[in-house]
Amino acid sequence: MSLSHRDDQKEVVNVGRRRLLTSGAAGGATLLASATNALSASKPDPAITEIQDWNRYTGDGVDARPYGTPSAFEKDVVRRNVPWLTADPIASVNFTPLHELDGIITPNGLCFERHHGGIAEIDPAEHRLMINGLVERPLVFTMEDLMRFPRVNRVYFLECAANTGMEWRGAQLNGCQFTHGMIHNVMYTGVPLRLLLEEAGVKTAGKWVLPEGADASHMTRSIPLEKALDDCIVAFKMNGEALRPEQGYPVRLVVPGWEGNMWVKWLRRIEVGDQPWHHREETSKYTDLLESGKARRFTWEMDVKSVITNPSPQAPLTHGSGHTVLSGVAWSGSGKVKRVDVSIDGGRNWQTSRLDGPSLSKSMHRFYFDFDWDGSEMFLQSRAMDENGQVQPTKNQLREARGPNSVYHNNSIQTWHVKPDGSAENVEIS
Amino acid sequence: MSKFPKLLLSLAVVGSLGGGVSFADEIKDGKKVFKKCRACHAVGKKAKNKVGPHLNDLFGRTAGALEGYKFSKAMKAAGADGLVWNNDTIDQFVTKPKKLIKKTKMAFAGLKKEKDRANLMAYLKSFDSDAGSDAAKDDKPVDKEASGEQTTKTASTTDGATQPKTASGSGGKLNIGRLALTEEVKAWDIDVRYDGQGLPPGKGTVAEGEPIFTEQCASCHGDFGEGVDRWPVLAGGQGTLEDDRPEKTIGSYWPYTSTVFDYIRRAMPFGNARSLSDDEVYALTAYVLYLNDIVEDEDFELSKENFNSIRLPNEKNFIADTRNEEPHYKPVTEPCMKDCKPEPAKLLMRARVLDVTPDGDHEGSLD
Repeated sequence: MSLSHRDDQKEVVNVGRRRLLTSGAAGGATLLASATNALSASKPDPAITEIQDWNRYTGDGVDARPYGTPSAFEKDVVRRNVPWLTADPIASVNFTPLHELDGIITPNGLCFERHHGGIAEIDPAEHRLMINGLVERPLVFTMEDLMRFPRVNRVYFLECAANTGMEWRGAQLNGCQFTHGMIHNVMYTGVPLRLLLEEAGVKTAGKWVLPEGADASHMTRSIPLEKALDDCIVAFKMNGEALRPEQGYPVRLVVPGWEGNMWVKWLRRIEVGDQPWHHREETSKYTDLLESGKARRFTWEMDVKSVITNPSPQAPLTHGSGHTVLSGVAWSGSGKVKRVDVSIDGGRNWQTSRLDGPSLSKSMHRFYFDFDWDGSEMFLQSRAMDENGQVQPTKNQLREARGPNSVYHNNSIQTWHVKPDGSAENVEIS
Repeated sequence: MSKFPKLLLSLAVVGSLGGGVSFADEIKDGKKVFKKCRACHAVGKKAKNKVGPHLNDLFGRTAGALEGYKFSKAMKAAGADGLVWNNDTIDQFVTKPKKLIKKTKMAFAGLKKEKDRANLMAYLKSFDSDAGSDAAKDDKPVDKEASGEQTTKTASTTDGATQPKTASGSGGKLNIGRLALTEEVKAWDIDVRYDGQGLPPGKGTVAEGEPIFTEQCASCHGDFGEGVDRWPVLAGGQGTLEDDRPEKTIGSYWPYTSTVFDYIRRAMPFGNARSLSDDEVYALTAYVLYLNDIVEDEDFELSKENFNSIRLPNEKNFIADTRNEEPHYKPVTEPCMKDCKPEPAKLLMRARVLDVTPDGDHEGSLD
């Protein structure tokens, strides 16, 4: 036994030497120490040798949890708020814990929330969807009516245009939940908006639609008819079950690839018009102020973007050097993500990561980079490319083009500084 | 439980159906009622406009909008205001035409009996080419006798107890939903477009707006629109858009006055939306313009009539989405993979220095 132990150790040392030669970085000592620790578990593990309570005693029966909830050990996997961002939680945002998730689907209870007048609690029996304006027949649908239209199932990301907006001027919030958590990725079931508009008969003068929410903020956005007829969905299910109240129960609009503010929740009305309305959320908000004092409006599409979710400030590396799974998510509002490159030296050298799981248009993609960490400090970055050849820019490229006050549509490359102890921090580098 | 009560129940249902009037009967009776209309109106396959317009595909038609018929000004105006013919509007009109449209040229006293009106509508509906009837699906010419027969079939397929709930239908391809009533559209469609389309009648002065603002708005927006805590600043900031820290307010940033009116009217005051009268919204909008020095006279009165004469100074500074003109938008087939920077990356800025991240309760999340 002692012999094989020594052999193992020698092998680790050799691996360590190889890493040292290639990386030329400090940290070999840490590596050796942690590697020795990993091999020194000579005492039997009580988790194996002792009989645990759950081995012996029976647990809850089938009816104890009629609607299942996560294990008590997952209690920290929750949405979180940044209280100083807004005046009141009724008109505020919280963030998806990206660093706790894997795959591409965001569980319903963890999808970030953004409300402008709190959560509307609507009895579906009392909900109506009206289509009016430049249509042959202004119509009213009940939820029951909507269920009679042909349905589709589609997976799409929803990203708030302000996601990563706090990072324009520099590294600010320490955790990918806060820097990148205004996104979720969900499978929607619903009716193509096209079918509802066809039922009402859009007049030839109709060029725009205005969806309106039933909540106290009466959210409205102008959407070009072309988009409305293309891939928008009037959705009543998310990930197979009814929409959550905070996501627009009983029905919301899905506007694939475009900024989340347009995905009107608690959808009660769609007006057809011949011009855009220029309402509050598309003039005073969700317009992008440039350094020249000019402001872009109707910047709908979400650009290609990615972030490493693990490791990240809220999810440090705790296992020490050795084989490491780096993971993250990537998405593009214009189609599929083709490739995600990863750098551990702050963008000097890149390697292509492995995409795994479904690759769907305008949906999150999951990437992995499996590597042998030598225990030295790293500057982690990910850089996504979409199928149209768009490449995620650096922070400086965006700031040069737009100045520091554009707020929205920050799709720049994120840097995490991972220290030899495995902790990580949101940083900016040269 | 024995089956007996159930059996009784089902017998009762059948009984009531038997004693009731079928859809086909309604159409038959409606045809008789239509005799009163035939002098002026035609329906059916070869129907043309006569003294009055033809009545094929009447349901879902906007009042005064049928091409090739010369309507009264009053009827055209009603259509422009959103009057669409459906069960309710036809019922109202036929009850007493001049009550619904005062200056209609239709010289008809009206049908007093509800049953007559219902039967008439059932008859007229049988000439709806896309009402989802079997006749429409088969694309057969709509002929009075045939449609009666077809509708009988439809009625018989309902198979028992109740009339289908959506019997009226939207008139669309799938015939799902129902036509929105004029009052319903009016109740919800209160938004105002950038060019003032949708503004209600009304007016209000700066002086009238001030006490309303103090009472309803100042607790969040401050007495002078300066904003309390992180609530939106409404006034000031003009000339700061190119500054390092621009202040985006109604006066400095917003492009259109209509947006102020629309937003206040639909969503303010926060927590009590839709509680202000239209005149109050005009007055508040005037007051906010005053706070921003857009108008300077306390007696200035904003109204539907003069609304579009008020322009906000930043209107011209909004441009289209020009992101794809930025250099990094040029599509790339192969980005740099090796030695992309001349020297190793150096730390320039750390988030932890700022200490603005909320404390997670997660182990190892933050310092």
